[in-house]
Amino acid sequence: MLSEETVIEPVPLLGKKACISCTVLIDSDCKFCNSCGARQTQVQGANTAEKWQLLQQGGVFFGLTLIVCCLAKFVDALQNLTSLIIIDAFLAIGTVAFFATGWQENKRLLHWPNFSIQKLSLYCGIAMAGAFLVHYSVTWLNITIFSKEESYIWGFIGYPYAKVLLIFFTAVTPAIFEELGFRGYLLQILLKVADEQQAVYISAFLFAIIHLSFLSLFWLIPFALFIGYMRVKEHTLWYGIFFHFCFNLTACLFELL
Amino acid sequence: MENSATITAETDAKCASCFTKVATEDVFCTSCGYPLKGTESEQRSFIARQEVNNLDYADFNQQIKKAGNSLYYLAGIFTLSAIINYFRFQDNPDTISEVIIILILAFLFLGLGAYSSKKPLVCLVSGLVLYIIVQVLLAIDNPINIVSGIIFKIIIIGYLIKGIKSALDFEQFKKEHNIV
Repeated sequence: MLSEETVIEPVPLLGKKACISCTVLIDSDCKFCNSCGARQTQVQGANTAEKWQLLQQGGVFFGLTLIVCCLAKFVDALQNLTSLIIIDAFLAIGTVAFFATGWQENKRLLHWPNFSIQKLSLYCGIAMAGAFLVHYSVTWLNITIFSKEESYIWGFIGYPYAKVLLIFFTAVTPAIFEELGFRGYLLQILLKVADEQQAVYISAFLFAIIHLSFLSLFWLIPFALFIGYMRVKEHTLWYGIFFHFCFNLTACLFELL
Repeated sequence: MENSATITAETDAKCASCFTKVATEDVFCTSCGYPLKGTESEQRSFIARQEVNNLDYADFNQQIKKAGNSLYYLAGIFTLSAIINYFRFQDNPDTISEVIIILILAFLFLGLGAYSSKKPLVCLVSGLVLYIIVQVLLAIDNPINIVSGIIFKIIIIGYLIKGIKSALDFEQFKKEHNIV
């Protein structure tokens, strides 16, 4: 027979949460408090007007980059080394300036938390394998569809240290400044405007399309998606910079070796 | 009193606004925040607010749909242009490569249009940027292209921009109203 003494049972907390307004315990799946009626989800981040303004800022960055890329690609008078240096310097300074506008927040992306040599090696290996596949598929497509071959080295032939210039302008500067611009400044803005997945998608599409080669979209979009996810997952730009560098360097080596 | 009937002590009592089951001791519905034990005036004004929200929701959806449709129009126009180019310039050896590029664009707009109902912001921003870049490239090829079909271009860009704004509002609205 059970004794009649009072047994104090603990309050069951499993599946419960405190209301964010009146702190009464409510079911964890409640959207509103059943006692005070307060909504249990706090909408954080920018409102629509702020998001629109952020999108416009991203649009200015993208628009300026697009103008410079169009000039570099389509103006015959700019197809020489001096122009290339000026254009690259302009793009680099512009990118750094945009990145610096949100310095307090963006500087964290330049840290390298949880550095892992194994992970870095893995990413570099994937980049090289990807460049290998892309090199052969793009060459095949160019010959089959356009009946032409393209080479990065042609723009540097005749200049002293052509190979060094090729690697510097094709592998080093794009890896640093494209990552700083697209995965640094632009993706950071988009993460405030949309959820993580949408932000990565948009930045990847914009990155792919700025190369002004519709045929190359088939590899540029997955390439940018991969680096975008890497940047979001690792909270640093450095893995992306090395990945991008290894990818472009491998493409250069195909032409040099 | 229709509303009060829904908040009786019966175990199968339901909220008058969202029809979710509610407990006897609930003062507010845990699903939509309806004031179960509020005054008639409070309950009416809650229902009125919900109706306004529903109208907003429908309006956002319509704007997004219109913008998504403009991506379909673009896909159609590019496909048509590819077909016309193919038959008009069959003898030119560069025609095939040009047609393939135009078809890639048509396919991209089609894909963005189809996916715009699921991820409106991604598709509309990408669609707008793609359209602007195509126009820039056409203008580089021949500056006359800037003014040809200018009204149509303005309408398309207008729809896409309105769609992007609606997509932003829609995202905010979904967050505020716990819509997944």
